[in-house]
Amino acid sequence: MGEDTDTRKINHSFLRDHNYVTEVEFNHTGELLATGDKGGRVVIFQREPESKNEPYNQGEYNVYSTFQSHEPEFDYLKSLEIEEKINKIKWLPQQNAAHSLLSTNDKTIKLWKITERDKRPEGYNLKDEEGKLKDLSTVTSLQVPVLKPMDLMVEVTPRRIFANGHTYHVNSISVNSDCETYMSADDLRINLWHLAITDRSFNIVDIKPANMEDLTEVITASEFHPHHCNLFVYSSSKGSLRLCDMRASALCDKHSKLYEEPEDPSNRSFFSEIISSVSDVKFSHSGRYMLTRDYLTVKVWDLNMETKPVETYQVHDYLRSKLCSLYENDCIFDKFECAWNGSDSVIMTGAYNNFFRMFDRNTKRDVTLEASRESSKPRAILKPRRVCVGGKRRKDDISVDSLDFTKKILHTAWHPTENIIAIAATNNLYIFQDKVNSEMH
Amino acid sequence: MEFKLEAHRIVSISLGKIYSARGQRGGLKLHKNLLVSLVLRSARQVYLSEPGCPPEPPPAPAGHPEEEPPPRTAAWAAEEPPLPPPPQDEAGRDCPGPRPRRCCCGENRGGCAGAPPPPHCPRKRSAGERGQAGSPLKKPRREEEEPPPLPPPPSPPCEQEDMETGNVASLISIFGSSFSGLLSKEPKGRRRPPLDGGEAAAGTAPAEAAAEPGQICCDEPVLRTLNPWSTAIVAF
Repeated sequence: MGEDTDTRKINHSFLRDHNYVTEVEFNHTGELLATGDKGGRVVIFQREPESKNEPYNQGEYNVYSTFQSHEPEFDYLKSLEIEEKINKIKWLPQQNAAHSLLSTNDKTIKLWKITERDKRPEGYNLKDEEGKLKDLSTVTSLQVPVLKPMDLMVEVTPRRIFANGHTYHVNSISVNSDCETYMSADDLRINLWHLAITDRSFNIVDIKPANMEDLTEVITASEFHPHHCNLFVYSSSKGSLRLCDMRASALCDKHSKLYEEPEDPSNRSFFSEIISSVSDVKFSHSGRYMLTRDYLTVKVWDLNMETKPVETYQVHDYLRSKLCSLYENDCIFDKFECAWNGSDSVIMTGAYNNFFRMFDRNTKRDVTLEASRESSKPRAILKPRRVCVGGKRRKDDISVDSLDFTKKILHTAWHPTENIIAIAATNNLYIFQDKVNSEMH
Repeated sequence: MEFKLEAHRIVSISLGKIYSARGQRGGLKLHKNLLVSLVLRSARQVYLSEPGCPPEPPPAPAGHPEEEPPPRTAAWAAEEPPLPPPPQDEAGRDCPGPRPRRCCCGENRGGCAGAPPPPHCPRKRSAGERGQAGSPLKKPRREEEEPPPLPPPPSPPCEQEDMETGNVASLISIFGSSFSGLLSKEPKGRRRPPLDGGEAAAGTAPAEAAAEPGQICCDEPVLRTLNPWSTAIVAF
């Protein structure tokens, strides 16, 4: 059930980190899984339909399509290179036979259309099979071309390119529930685009101060509400969330609700501001809650309560005493994502040492699992891991000091309806399934 | 006292990060640099408000009369009292500003006048003149000098004050050299200076000291008008 992307086949770059997976996203049915990498490539996996003949092969994801989404660019005006790294991918809801997704790097958002071709016309009168013009004297009768089946070909074409909308680095995109608009957020501004219009966008949030020396916070993530097309939320580097209503005004600089938890003074340190910066925000499928991730915790917020989160889960509190070293080696700036399961009962986020954590909101139980080749033979069951912080050490525990901070799981995704998760671990992709599912057939 | 040393260490690490961020591919990351500057600010506040940090003497002219108050951050102002919240930091910068730079210039004048010194000498000389070997602020330049891995042991008050301005001088020289690199000659590579400091993109104002990292430029207009700390943010 664990599956790795074979990056050697599709990667021709000798720079190893071009393979780093930088984004993972299921589409709305879960049939397709898109991944983006640091080299600007997008790889789409498709779930094999379940068959009774091979019950153990059902539901596996295989490569469906690969394409180069973004290339490195150079901004001559500012003498800056623009990285091709894919920051975010978002699927559009499927409206016809084709699939569409948005992918973005630091500056440019692109709309890609993915279509299948499994038939081709044969039997033209004027051209032969290779396409060469026939000698007309050999044509004695007319035929009607027919469609014959062919090997499946997946074609990906760029349908829209939304460029020049952002001065700062784009950190998130979100498709509106109206399926007509989407928003893109950079450090200081959020723009609203129409999916069919590329030469203009509306600026709906602008927190750039008149004097940049007064800058105290930036936008770190944003998302549209799943059901209310007028509502969106954005998170800040100060740890606050702002819910904005686009009906209130054209420029949503004034929030409708501000979600902020007062800082615990006993935890104050030089790095309090850094670790309170929200790295990801996700609405629950119900639309009632928001999930945020900061450096040490994940928090569930009720949209109706602005004063504090309703639930707080410690991801790796044992790092609290190591913040200075993590600041030195830059790990404190890592931006972890978070995810809900389909029923909003379990939340998941990544950590270090290729560990990822799941928290059950109902039972309040949590588990730490590892995504690594050694522990994930296909169809092996993942063993819960434990980090020991001094005191009694059990067998197989990892001590905090032996954690590998270069192995970080920043990007995770949960299938919209089933218990299937996709975990990006540096340059590998792991897909795990709940055993229960596969036994149902 | 240990808070002071830790704060000092964090200041030097933070400055190293800001310095090295200029060479990053894709341009400066505004978010990260903002966080680093916030840490820098907190550490500086702790450092300056901790006991054992005597007020600085009034600034000596050092032969460079300052006309207008420069937009220099109070980061380098050693004698400033424990600081008010950040917004007022920026406002209070003009008064204490000139002095450290002048000291730096005064110190390094001997170092950089005449033949161009070898890259490492000016900084060493400036720190050496202060009688402070192994200042923690040499950490960002670890490859050039041989600082001890740990901060120096607590020193008597007068040396503390020297360490203060000595470090300040070293800090100025880090930024001073890079600014000279971008303003006095054609920028190597892909950097160009944003003289307005407005929406100019990342990496331009605190641009890389491409050629000679240690080269000091005591160009008064440069040092007066460029504020290394805030320019790290203004660069965006």
